[in-house]
Amino acid sequence: MKISYNWLKNYIDLDPVEHSPEVLQEVLPLLGFDIEEIEKLGPPQLNNVVVGQVLEFVQHPDADRLRCCKVSTGNEGEVHDIVCGAKNFVQGDKVMVALPGAVLPGDFKIKASKLRGQPSAGMMCSSKELQVGQDHDGIMILDQGTALGTPVNDLYTDGDTVLNLEITPNRVDVLSHIGVARELAAKFGLDVKYPEIKASTENASNGDALISGVDVSAPEVCPHYTAVSIKGVKVGPSPKWLKDAIEATGQRSINNVVDVTNYVLHETCQPLHAFDAAKIKGGKLVVRMASEGETITTLDDVERKLNADMAVIADTERALVVAGVMGSVDAEVDETTTDIVLEAAYFAPTSVRATARKLGLSSDSSYRFERGVDPQGVTYASLRAVDLILEVAGGTVDGNMIEEGSEPATITEVAIRPDRVRTFIGFDVSDEEIQTVLESLGLAVSIHSEADGSVRWDVSIPSYRGDLQRDVDLIEEFIRVYGTDKIPESEVVARGISTDDHRIYTVNESVANYLTGQNFNEAFLYSLRDPEETKFFFGEESHKVLALDNPLQSDQSHLRPSLIPGLLDVIKLNGARATGATRFFERGHVYREVKGQMVELVSVGFVIVADQISREWRQREVADFYTARNLCGEVLEIAGTAASKLTFRPIADCKLWQGGQSAYAGDFAKMGFECTAGLLNIATLKERWDISTPIIAGSILMTPKFFERKAKQGRHSVISNQPASAKDLALIVDQSVLAGDVEKEVAKFAKKATQGFDCESVRIFDVYEGTGLPEGKKSLALSMSFRAADRTLKDKEVNAAFESIQKLITEKTDYQIRK
Amino acid sequence: MQEDLTAIVAGVRENAPAIQTRAEFEAYKATISGPKGSLTDIMKGMGKVPKEDKPAMGKLINEAKTAVEASFAEVIERLEAAELAAKLGPAIDPTLPLPDSTRGTLHPIAQVREEMVELFRRIGFSVAEATEVETEHYCFDALNIPSDHPARDMQDSYYLPDDLTVNNVSKHADEKYLLRTHTSTVQIRAMLKEKPPIRIVAPGRCFRRDTPDATHSANFHQIEGLYVDKNVTLLDLKATLDHFVKTIFGPKAKTRLRPSFFPFTEPSFEMDFFSPDLGKLSNKWLEIMGCGMVDPEVFKAVGIDPEVYTGYAFGMGIERIAMILQGVDDIRYYYQNDARFLKQFA
Repeated sequence: MKISYNWLKNYIDLDPVEHSPEVLQEVLPLLGFDIEEIEKLGPPQLNNVVVGQVLEFVQHPDADRLRCCKVSTGNEGEVHDIVCGAKNFVQGDKVMVALPGAVLPGDFKIKASKLRGQPSAGMMCSSKELQVGQDHDGIMILDQGTALGTPVNDLYTDGDTVLNLEITPNRVDVLSHIGVARELAAKFGLDVKYPEIKASTENASNGDALISGVDVSAPEVCPHYTAVSIKGVKVGPSPKWLKDAIEATGQRSINNVVDVTNYVLHETCQPLHAFDAAKIKGGKLVVRMASEGETITTLDDVERKLNADMAVIADTERALVVAGVMGSVDAEVDETTTDIVLEAAYFAPTSVRATARKLGLSSDSSYRFERGVDPQGVTYASLRAVDLILEVAGGTVDGNMIEEGSEPATITEVAIRPDRVRTFIGFDVSDEEIQTVLESLGLAVSIHSEADGSVRWDVSIPSYRGDLQRDVDLIEEFIRVYGTDKIPESEVVARGISTDDHRIYTVNESVANYLTGQNFNEAFLYSLRDPEETKFFFGEESHKVLALDNPLQSDQSHLRPSLIPGLLDVIKLNGARATGATRFFERGHVYREVKGQMVELVSVGFVIVADQISREWRQREVADFYTARNLCGEVLEIAGTAASKLTFRPIADCKLWQGGQSAYAGDFAKMGFECTAGLLNIATLKERWDISTPIIAGSILMTPKFFERKAKQGRHSVISNQPASAKDLALIVDQSVLAGDVEKEVAKFAKKATQGFDCESVRIFDVYEGTGLPEGKKSLALSMSFRAADRTLKDKEVNAAFESIQKLITEKTDYQIRK
Repeated sequence: MQEDLTAIVAGVRENAPAIQTRAEFEAYKATISGPKGSLTDIMKGMGKVPKEDKPAMGKLINEAKTAVEASFAEVIERLEAAELAAKLGPAIDPTLPLPDSTRGTLHPIAQVREEMVELFRRIGFSVAEATEVETEHYCFDALNIPSDHPARDMQDSYYLPDDLTVNNVSKHADEKYLLRTHTSTVQIRAMLKEKPPIRIVAPGRCFRRDTPDATHSANFHQIEGLYVDKNVTLLDLKATLDHFVKTIFGPKAKTRLRPSFFPFTEPSFEMDFFSPDLGKLSNKWLEIMGCGMVDPEVFKAVGIDPEVYTGYAFGMGIERIAMILQGVDDIRYYYQNDARFLKQFA
């Protein structure tokens, strides 16, 4: 919203110093109106630019388009040779001359030189070149009475400052000069001077209106419609004040009548529309819903297709205006217009908003209607426009104002207790201070004593302040105008609230600290991934369930099911840039498909380049599956699951993980967590990321519910201080048999075979395949540790237990005991 | 016999220093004190020694034995020292480059996020979390954002298809799912779950349908704060945010509350701050967050009585704070994860 400082001065007595544009720039943002940009209009300070007179000129001997002029700038002898390209002057014309030494806007330095061989010591200027106007079609021709030698800045003193304000959607009333004046008046303690109205709604003596009437068949969209007829206007260019005002607010001056409607819009916030009466067919206006598919060519020369949810103002034959949005080329006021019908109406915000959005068309008018203009501002704005049209375009009002419907009602009073204001803001202000502020905003306060002795104020609300409906709205008004800078600084006072941090956060924090300690760099990646990638790794069903309804970019159309692909992008980028980094992790949310539904999961993923990528004087072992399994276990341990209880199962065939080199444990759908660890599929890595080094990775998924589990309090049980006794055993098993299963099985037998003491652990300490063993077999060496709580175990009892364990193995399993 | 003993002791004294290994030592020791050793032989011959010579003889043997054992002990000590030295290897060069990768770093956004969370925790806030997939009700309606508000447009927010069910995100009625556009959703979920007093901060990922550029990213992070209790005031809001700004940007930072408009707070403000120590951004008012007093409509939507409770809320972009603090001028650097970039903030 562009606000012209000069224009603003019509409604409020701004002191050039106390309320200068610079002061306004400071004050307005703190009133809630941020300034996007500031424009200075009018001429800049220019030296050596003065009024001159063309004494004579001749055609340039070597250039058709140039004239060689002799120009006087006043004092005797001050005649300058100037070559000029413009043709719009005659001998004796007074012009603006920039003499050598002048610097024109755009850092254009004027020097004495030669143009095609002819001397030229200066330049005759256009208004645009001097930034005193927009005209660039020729040089400025000044009034004959202008004294030679007058500096340009003495001639053009009317600079302006235009503030482009950002108005929040609740304050439609401030989308106008009067609205801004009201705000400044409240802040500065000044009065608002509303323009006086001369016209009246009653002009019956002047004859009949130009139209027979207005039919409103869509009152829900248009509860109040007025039309005034003006006969005999002379459409032409606007006078300077009007043109300046229109141009200052960033619009194009069109003609005096149209400019007035735009002027009043920017003055009062009420949009208006002027019809050429001659173009209204059937002699009346109709406010109706458009018929489906009806077309209209709006003023921006675009043919638009309407639907039945959009309201139009029509004559008896066709739509002339998209109600509240934009007029059509068909009823435009132009130079031939003599009679006009001036519309001022209230259109329902939701309807205008929906229409404007559907048409993709926003105008100054729709922008205001959709935010809700003053429901009771229609008549004032209409009459104000009538006054101005009569002033700048002549004509006479014909007939009475035609009025359909009535002004919608508004909230007129809001109750507030001054005590409530004080408890809400938390610091002391007096009743008087609050009352003064409210009244400065035009809100009248009437004071009532309640039965309980407290004080209640009934605050009257003007119709243009539809945003003030509750006491908190008034508190906002108070603090806004009183000044947020007056809120005292204070220490934080906070009473203790014993709520735990959410475990998702604390677990993530610990996981990140753990993994950075394990030399991982944390990465942040996008949650949206490529559709093809989702389908490739997770299948058709995931591809369907994880899709966004309205992606912006085709390669970011799906919610990620895994952190690993993104981390591979990071590995690739760091590899290409040779940063030397080999370990990355991310903690973030991922999404999975389960039985056709989506589930949001908390995830931690990590990747390790399992190769010596740099030459080192001492080589360390590279990471392998067990590295990843350990890290996964640690992460889950932090999250609250005993890593020792995880049962990993090998992955045979997978596009992301390398079959035979990776494994998973848990099941997020059943147990709330799941993890996968090991080598990533080397073929996929090569094909999709062009990565040929092996990558070891881990991926942990946890449901949000998993974090709600309460941690169990540990309980003490007495530990034995007796010595342990160890026995070793080697078993020959099928290669496909999992060591973990063998351990479990043997532990089960050991438990059975020991009485009065325990088998504390069964642990595989060696795996052997090859010479001496049958094809397809491997040998697992286990160590068992026995201990009693109360005594040193005797060899005899340990041997007996060992014997029965072996017997159970032989009887109950296919394992062969290696002698 | 005395000569024999003298010869044995002299022999041991002569040979012991030359012994280099334990095996050599054991073999040599056997020739002296083993079952067939020379000293053992003499000791065995004691039986034949006449009774009156026994004390003198015994004394001589003991002396010889002590001398031999002393020599042997020396050998053992020397061998053990050598073995230990062999175990230790050569002296280290402490200046060689580390052959291991070194400690990793938290992502710069995470660093700032954690710093922010920490400073709010110090004044009694606890951390809340919620899902990134949300519904229109929790993201907009409950926050008093009208149904035709531009933020709800398909142009501006990422929606999920109508026929989708998200297993672990509850709906209010039959509204659409979307990716949350702000962390204010956590406010609503928290107020529905718990009774006041509530004092939470909620850091989290948000999504807006923006074309990526230097300041926009398809996903970004916010931190939301909410305090609801009896008698929570505007003064408290200012005190809390001043604490935040001065902790993050230093005690010289100044703040101001610029009145603004949000459907979920009334009054609403943008908070700006101003610092003399920010490089290129010094001495300018910089907008960093939106805040205000919780709008009564929001309280009504979650069943809290606005006549009894008041509250304040604030929300800000973590990337924005990080960019100001870290001097990063393009948000996309954060999502490239070049290790050289990441390490700059370690």
